[in-house]
Order: sequence, then structure tokens, then C-alpha cells
Amino acid sequence: MSSTTQPIARGSHFNRILVIAGHAFTQLVRMKVFYFLAVFAVIAIASNFFDLPQHEGPESIGMNVLRSIKSWSLGTMTLFSVVLSIVATALLLPKDVEDRTLYTILAKPVPRIDYLAGKLLGVLILVFVSLAMMDVLMTVVLQIRSSMILTQQVAMAQSQGWPQDAIESLRAETAQHGPNWALQGAVFAVFLRASIMASLALLISTFSTSTLFTTIISFLIYFIGHFQADARDAYLQAGQAGEGVFARMAALVFSLVLPDFQNFNVIDAVIEGQAMPLMVLVKLSLIGLYYAVFFTIASWFVFAEKEF
Amino acid sequence: MKAWQRNGILLAALLAFGATRLPLEKSLGDELRKGGLAPPPLEIGTRDKIGQTSSAVALGGLRTLVATFLNLRAFSFFQEQRWDDVSDTFEMIVDLAPRTRYYWETGSWHSAYNAASYYINNSNMPSLRRKEAWRAAIYRGRAFLERGIRNNPSDWSLLSTLGFMLTDANKFPAFRDPDATFTAAADAYQKAVDTGNAPAFVNRAQFYALARAKGREKEALALARALYADPKNRLPTLRALLLVLEAHENPALDTAKLAVELFETPERALEALSGHWQRTRERFPVDGVAGALGALEKMLAVPPEKSILNKPLQLPNGPDQWFSK
Amino acid sequence: MAEPTPAVEIKGLVKDFKTSFRRQMLRAVDDVSIRIMPGEVYGLIGPNGSGKSTTMKALLGLVAPTSGNCAIFGKDSLKVDSRNDVGFLPENPYFYKHLSGAETLRFYGKLCGLKGKRLDDRVSELLALVDLENARDRRLGGYSKGMLQRIGLAQAMIQEPRLVILDEPTAGVDPVGSRQIRDLILKLRERGITVFLCSHLLEQVQEVCDHVGIIFRGKMVKEGRLDDLIAIEDQTEIIIKDASPELISQITALVGNSATASLVRTGKPRTTLERLFLRETTQGKDS
Repeated sequence: MSSTTQPIARGSHFNRILVIAGHAFTQLVRMKVFYFLAVFAVIAIASNFFDLPQHEGPESIGMNVLRSIKSWSLGTMTLFSVVLSIVATALLLPKDVEDRTLYTILAKPVPRIDYLAGKLLGVLILVFVSLAMMDVLMTVVLQIRSSMILTQQVAMAQSQGWPQDAIESLRAETAQHGPNWALQGAVFAVFLRASIMASLALLISTFSTSTLFTTIISFLIYFIGHFQADARDAYLQAGQAGEGVFARMAALVFSLVLPDFQNFNVIDAVIEGQAMPLMVLVKLSLIGLYYAVFFTIASWFVFAEKEF
Repeated sequence: MKAWQRNGILLAALLAFGATRLPLEKSLGDELRKGGLAPPPLEIGTRDKIGQTSSAVALGGLRTLVATFLNLRAFSFFQEQRWDDVSDTFEMIVDLAPRTRYYWETGSWHSAYNAASYYINNSNMPSLRRKEAWRAAIYRGRAFLERGIRNNPSDWSLLSTLGFMLTDANKFPAFRDPDATFTAAADAYQKAVDTGNAPAFVNRAQFYALARAKGREKEALALARALYADPKNRLPTLRALLLVLEAHENPALDTAKLAVELFETPERALEALSGHWQRTRERFPVDGVAGALGALEKMLAVPPEKSILNKPLQLPNGPDQWFSK
Repeated sequence: MAEPTPAVEIKGLVKDFKTSFRRQMLRAVDDVSIRIMPGEVYGLIGPNGSGKSTTMKALLGLVAPTSGNCAIFGKDSLKVDSRNDVGFLPENPYFYKHLSGAETLRFYGKLCGLKGKRLDDRVSELLALVDLENARDRRLGGYSKGMLQRIGLAQAMIQEPRLVILDEPTAGVDPVGSRQIRDLILKLRERGITVFLCSHLLEQVQEVCDHVGIIFRGKMVKEGRLDDLIAIEDQTEIIIKDASPELISQITALVGNSATASLVRTGKPRTTLERLFLRETTQGKDS
């Protein structure tokens, strides 16, 4: 053999996944998806001034504003993260096939699992970065506002001659609605849910023929996933309800196949001022990871056999 | 591999995956519900009531945001005085955000205060119907608040709001048995105190409710003595009621002497007890007050024509008057 | 000395596709065998839809053969390993428009495990090779068709493969660009890199390839060394510069005297339109 080229050590799976992820990330960034952050900034700041018609006693001055900032912010985060993870994932794969860029990648020594995992990771990095930016903005707004409210409340309480313990109780209650760790946990839960959706959209897009189909099916599953737990309960408690065998089996298949997002309602509890124990977040993360890994492997299973 | 084989394997894997995660999710869900972090599952009724679009969003994890919007809608119903719509809207809101005290308090307040007052003043209806509507609105407000308490048993504020409503002179006449009402108020305040988060005034409010329940005088006296021990609690109403309950316990008591002891000077005692004597609408007991007032006036040489005992009491102002015409 | 491993070894390749609506199977490639030895430039020619691209995709593992097998330097095409030593330029490639030329090469280089200074050097080297140093930092969105094809070629070369597969490398490229690509292919041949290209532009194949195969309706109909295939065995061509009319008549007479030979045609050789076009458009620029 006349070749004088010295052999190139093939990179590890991890490196290739990172390269593809980094590339998918830049690709999405250059598609100007970060513009929505400006929209979020407007919403986060505007929710501050939504002097919604409220009826409240002087002792709860401004509590509703805090709740409103949180529910607007987390609501917007949920929307953006879910839309972004579904649409971006549904878009990237068919785009590569259509533009034949996929050929050039798969013609390199790149295993198909690396390609899939890389694309997914790229989308997840994007979602994570945007959520982190939104989180920072929300926390800042909330911090400023809640300290303003605290000052107001304390001034009010002192002018009315409240005893110290009453002031302390009020202060503690307001703090619960300000920025705290539970809220960060809730934002992370939003990210987890978006990751599940992204990996699910990846699976769907491996056998779907169009971006539109992937997007619609993913959104359907997303919404269904929120009352999927009812199907599970219907199955588990079918004895009492007296449903037929067929209905029970249908409920079982339904709850086995579709993802369950009911547990993510913990986000709403946090908006309402509840604390989220760390263990809950850990368990939620493990479940989210389990989903993402399974869906990615299933996607690879389909994608490995695919012809272009 | 044939396409059907591949799809079969995929489906089997999906089912197996579901079977392994189902118990995990179920246990986490139970844990969350136990810790009050997950709302009870949406009632089917709520799903029907909320419009198609917002239900999709509500189910999509944006319950609190939808609740915020519905709260706005409730406010416009309130401005238009469409009380049934206000109530229905709040029913939906609390299904979406059952842990938010504000919604429970506001919903019950709209019914028991705003709607009830509306029926007092609305002259378009015959008086009998107005009275029933007034009563129904207050009942509804109370029931709503009690549901809120069942959903948030550790919230002192909801409990104390209930106690406040049941001891409100404009509200308790709606309930047929005043003693049961005051007892219920006292119980609510007691539970609020038991949460450990309630400020001190709740404890006094509990006492004010208990003092008005006939047959609970002994308990009330014990509580009054305990509260009085802390100088911060020595408000005029508490001192006056302590005197009343001591007189109830021991009718032979020299109430004027005790009054001077409690209020430190005869002048202050006279002023405070006169106020107490005049507060007829709240139905505070007045055992021994008349005797104490007479003795104090004599002590301070108040001429009989200026005696508080000879002044007319407040005219009765309650449902009998509101719905007489 | 043992015979070296063939760069490309396709044996009895058959590929059926399902047509969308009917159950009927469409046979895109029917029992094609190709063997390309290291250093050869092989051109697969045939009309559109004759199975050229499918053959290449099977070789790259992008489609799985219905029967038969493909190997690159002895490694089965269905294994990822086989792609260590191959670079591919698909037909009408669209690379990521949001990347610049250099970024594109870096991306593909990193995918192949290149990094650090070696990657930087390789990127610069290839940009110089395909004459795109000036467009190094311009986004591919602003590249012309010919530039895209050249960056595509550079991309295919990034990990220094011993085999380069080019699918219609000059489709849609203007003659100047086409010529540049042809020159590049010749450069690759000089470096001892095996080239496997397919095209329906016969003239181009004739210029660069030393082996050709003709594929028609999925079947290989003719294959061999180009010179062998196109030589007209019973004719000889003499091209003379500055020949006087006397010389021509002497030669003509000489041929007339021969017992076996006969004169077919005399005249001036025509330059091709391509050559004329190139001469006119690149005057004073290239040479």
C-alpha cells in the first residue's frame, strides 16, 4: 500500500456526541430561537405591573403580585421549553435528511446512536440554557419585588402596632412566595419535562415522515400525559368502579404506552408557595432520565435500520 | 429484520418500559399527594366546565396560570354583580389551585359578604326572597371556606377567617343556632392556634367567640384567666369579658371592685364597661356589668340623668330590620 | 507479492425498493459487481435513475443490500469501521448554511476524531487545496454552486481517506467550476487516492477516469479500462503541427500506395467548445 497517511485515532462516542450536540446547538442558536427570551423578559417584567384587580386585606399587600410573577414566568417557561424541545427535535432530523447533510455525517465513521444522542443533547442544552436565563430573570424580578413588598408589609404592620410574632409570621409567609430553592427545583422540573418531550419527539421523528406529523403527535401525547395517571388509577382501582375487563385492559395499555406527567404538577404546588423536598426532585430527575434514555435507545433501534 | 418484527419489538419494549416505570411514578405521585405537593386529581366536572382551550392548557401543567385568568373573569362578574357566575368561577379556580389560600378566602368573601350585602340592599326582590338569598349566600361562603380548610388543614389564616365570619354581627344572625355558631367559631380559632403559626390575636379571638357560646362559660373563664396572665393580651374587651365571666361564675362577686382592679382606675373601668354595655349587636354576655356600672357611677358621682344605664341602647339592626319591608 | 486489498469490492449487489402504494418491488440495482484497486479512478456512468446513487449508498452503508455485499478496503460497509477510510460527496450537497467554510471542515474533522493543531492544519491545507482560502469565514449560505461542491470535496477529504466517493461532482456547476473540480480529481489521483465517481456527463468521465463501468436499468452492461473500451482498434491518428500542403499530399499518396490501409478523413482537429469557453473566460487569470 502506498498510503503515507498516519492513522487517525477515532474519537470516543462521548466526543462525537458532544461535537454533534454543539453543532445542533449553534444551528438552533443561529436560527434565532433566543429571540423568544426577549418576549420572556417582557412578560416577566410586565407581570410585575399587572395590577390585577384584586381584593386583599392590607396584611397580604402584594402577595398576589408575587404569585402572578411566578405563575406567568413558569407558565411561559413551560410553554417555551415544551414547544422548543418538540419543534426543534422534530425539525432537525428531517432537515438533515432533506438537505442530505445526513449523508455526509453518516458517511463519516459516526455510529447512528451518536448522531441521535448528539442531536437530542443539542436541543437539551439549548432548552437548559434558555431556561437558566429565564430563571435568572425571574429570580431577579421576584427578589426585587418581594423585598419591596416585605418593606411595605413591615411598615404597615408596625404602623398598626402588630406584635413581633405576627410580623415574623407575615415575613415568613412572604418569603415563601419570594425566590427560594423550591422555585429553582420547579424550573428544573420544567426542564425535565421538556427533556422527556424532546426524546419522545426524537423517537416519533425516526419513523414519521413529516415535521408537522411529529409536532402534532408530540403535543397530543404531551396533553394526554397530564391526565394519563387517571387511566392508571382507573386500572388499579377498577375493582371498585366495576368496569369491564376490556376497559381495564385498555386503561392499562394506555397508561403503559403513554408518558405520565401528572407528577410534574408539583410545579404548580411550588407556585402556590409549597416547599419541594430535595428527594422529590431527585426522584423526578431519575424518572425523567429513565424516560429520556429509553426513548433515545428506542429511537436508535428504529433509526439504525433506516435507509436514506 | 422485517418491519412488523421491528414494530413488534418496539411495542413490547414500550410496554415493558411502561410496566417498570408505572410503580415508580405511582409511588412518587402518592408521596406528593401525601406531602400536599400534588393537588387531588381534577374532578371530571371541572374538565367539563372549563372551555376546551383552557382545559388543554390547564392539563398541560399551567393550572395556576389559568387560575389567574379565571380570577380576572371572576372580578368582572363581581363588578357586574353576577353572583352565581362569581361562585361558579371560584369553584373552577380552586379546583385548579387548591393550595392558594387567597382564592378560598376571596371566593368565600364574595359570597358571604358582597353577595349577602347586595341582597340586603337590593329592593327589586320581595323581602322574603331577599332574606333567603342573603342567608343562602352566607351559607355558601361558609361552606366554601370550610372546603378550603379541608384542602389546607394547616393554614391558620383560613381557619381564622372562618372564625371571623362566624362571629361577625352581620353574619351570625343568618345561622339559626347562635351558640352552635359561636362554638364553631371558637373551634376554628382553636385549630388555627393549634397550627402553631397563628399570631396572638387569634387566641384572643378564640376567647371572644367562646365567651358568647352559652354553656361554655367555664372553659371561657379558664381561657380568659390564662390570657390575662400575659399583659400583652389585656385589651379592654378581654378585661370586660373576664369580669363578666367571673360574675357569671360567682353572682355574688363585687364586680365594681373587680372592675377597678382590672382596669386600674374607676374612670377607665367606667369608660370600658360603658362601651361593652353598648355593644349589643355582638351579643357579648353582660353578667354583672349593670351592677358594676351602677356602683362605678356612684363612686365617680355621675348624675343619674347622665348614667349610661339610662341612655338608650343601640337600635336593633339585623335581618329582622333589613328584610321587614 | 500478494495482491493488495481492493479499495472497493462490491459483489453481486441487489437492491429492491418498495414502491409507495403498490406492493410491487422495484429493483434498483441488479447483480452489480465492482472491484476498484487502490489508486484507480473509477467512473460509473449511466442515465438518471439507473442505480448509480443506490450503488454508492450501499457502499457507504446508507442503504442495506437486499443481497450481495459491499466492502471498503476489506471492511463490510454495514459496519461503522468501514467509513474510516472513505470520504463522500453526495449529489447536490447542502451543508449547514449557518456554518462558514472553515467551521464546516472543523465540524466534519471533529466527527472523525481530529482535534487541536492537527485539525487546524488540515482545515487550512484543504481550504488551500480547493482554493477557498478567501471564503474561509464566509457562511455557506453565500457560496456559489461550484464553491459548495469544492467545500464538499474538502469535507470528504478531511480525515485523509484512501478512497473518495463522488456522486455527480459537477452536476449544476458552470464550466469553470467543473474544470476546477476535474483538476482536483486529477490531484487526488496524483496523491494515490482511489476515486470512485459517478456521472452522466461522459466527457468528464473520459477526462479523468482510467476505469469505467456503464450501468443501465440497474445492470452493469460494460466495464473495463477506459483506453481499452474507447480505442478504435483498426484506426490510427496522427496529429501534425505546421504541416505544409506538400507534406499532407505526400502522406496521402503514401497511404494510397498501401495495400491494406485506407484514408478515412483529414482536416483540422476541432477544439471542444468546453476548451474554447475555458480559454476565453480564464485568459490572463489562470495562466
